[in-house]
Amino acid sequence: MTMKRLRTASSLIVVAMLAGCNDKGGDPSKQYGSNPDIPESHQYVIPPMSVPQAVGWKEGETPTVPGGLRIQAMANGLMHPRVVYPLSNGDILVVESNGPGTKPFRPKDYISGLIKARGGSADKGGNRITLLRDADGDGVPESKTVLVDHLHSPYGVAVVADTLYVANTDAIIAYPFKPGQTEIKEPGTKLTDLPAGPINHHWTKSMVASPDGSKLYVGVGSNSNVAENGLDIEEDRAAIFEVDRLTGAKRLYATGIRNPTNLALQPGTGQLFAVVNGRDENGPDADPDYLSLIKEGGFYGWPYSYWGQHVDDRVQPQKPDMVAKAIKPDYGLSSHVAALGLAFSQGQTVSPQFTTGAFVGEHGSWNRDPLNGYQVIFVPFADGRPNGAPIPVVTDFLAQDKKTVRGRPVGVALDRTGSLIVADDVGNTVWRVSGAAATH
Amino acid sequence: MAKLVGRHRTPRPLHPLFVGLGGALLMAALFTDSMYFSNALMQWANFSAWLITGGLVLALIGALVLVLDYMLGRAGPISWPDFGLLALAATLSIVNVFIHTRDGWTSVVPSGITVSALVTILLLIAGLRGWCVTGVKAPARGDNA
Repeated sequence: MTMKRLRTASSLIVVAMLAGCNDKGGDPSKQYGSNPDIPESHQYVIPPMSVPQAVGWKEGETPTVPGGLRIQAMANGLMHPRVVYPLSNGDILVVESNGPGTKPFRPKDYISGLIKARGGSADKGGNRITLLRDADGDGVPESKTVLVDHLHSPYGVAVVADTLYVANTDAIIAYPFKPGQTEIKEPGTKLTDLPAGPINHHWTKSMVASPDGSKLYVGVGSNSNVAENGLDIEEDRAAIFEVDRLTGAKRLYATGIRNPTNLALQPGTGQLFAVVNGRDENGPDADPDYLSLIKEGGFYGWPYSYWGQHVDDRVQPQKPDMVAKAIKPDYGLSSHVAALGLAFSQGQTVSPQFTTGAFVGEHGSWNRDPLNGYQVIFVPFADGRPNGAPIPVVTDFLAQDKKTVRGRPVGVALDRTGSLIVADDVGNTVWRVSGAAATH
Repeated sequence: MAKLVGRHRTPRPLHPLFVGLGGALLMAALFTDSMYFSNALMQWANFSAWLITGGLVLALIGALVLVLDYMLGRAGPISWPDFGLLALAATLSIVNVFIHTRDGWTSVVPSGITVSALVTILLLIAGLRGWCVTGVKAPARGDNA
């Protein structure tokens, strides 16, 4: 009898402790804007997880765009396209890439890798840049060539002064490149090293050139979710660097930015903005990814706190002086959307409603139920800052049943016609959204 | 033609070896948890996660060998107090291995190290009782006839 009671009691404990994992995420719209709802952080025995199965696009299937707009595939059969970079002559550079892989630290690392692989995140990257030539601007490329191959997990690119700068995961490489060229034969030269191993948890190195082209800004993600691999390997991580384009000299421009997955300059002001991914396993609505102006010398909280002064108990020892310094970001995008793409509207866009603001590519959540993200949104700006509810632009990457996903948006950019170009790393496609006027 | 069966040939169960090995790993996790509690160096918490995982794998092997002991007729009647102690320790350790998948401080403090301490107490009692879930099989009457 005693033993039976003991066994009943122990199974009750398990049930009670596992019950925490049934927490459902709330309405994402509560977390849009400058004053998002930030719930208390919550620690789970098993964190909420929901990963739709990656299935790819069937012939003729496309994501959905609002009425009056048109979407077409510019290229498919790519190898994990992450970033798109249109040139002034109409050519589009497509960076095909994935992480170099990390060594497991804990038993958990084996499991979480398998879970994320279900959503297509583990597919092999091309480690190359493909050039799509669309000289007549109809969205149907006349040619597709490999511009440069054998890169090392590339992500950010910038063309300045007849030079193509590629931010590999461990270094910026410079290649001589004149727009019009479809192939680069010369080997690149290393401009500077970037923080990479060991671990290299967040491997992407986003990059944008300053308005005068003298500097390159490079986003370097943290080496962990929330410093659980130790603080010593977080040196120079979770930061944005400013690199001198000619000498390669670099300095920290801003810090405490967990994962600055993309950077962009605001047209007109030239100010640096970033989309940043918030931490995981902190609850379905903690904490929001954000879009923010990045202040020079600013500290944005990671790992000690999020959204200003919300302390993360998982970091030990805590640093109240750093928490006090943490800057609140401008605009919440809601939690776990995995904002990876950022492009400012340049005026001549696909629709008048997108005149002033920024497009954000949301790769989609794994650490939240119901799912969040899996779309491209437009964030309107007013007085130079994000303001107002986001407008979904490219949707239905998820299938209707939400159990499978056909593609996942990453990098976004506007081409010379104002059309929106979207990299889709699970559908292995580059999409082009054009306005009614731009169609032929 | 009668075969001589000495009393020292009484078959003994095999499972205590695996139960004891697994128990040692689970108890060691209390040590690594307390090291992490005192110095906050993540590697100690990583050790804990591996020790609890290893302890649970050995517990599973121990359970399979227990079944084998019965099939081979090496085990006597089950001892419910020992079985209960070990079953509870294993159940708590399953919860504990999930607690230890959290990131950073909360993977150990306060719940992880508390569960590790409870498991260690249960296992100390089970260990002092001999890591054995069954009685030793008594030679059946007539075996020596």
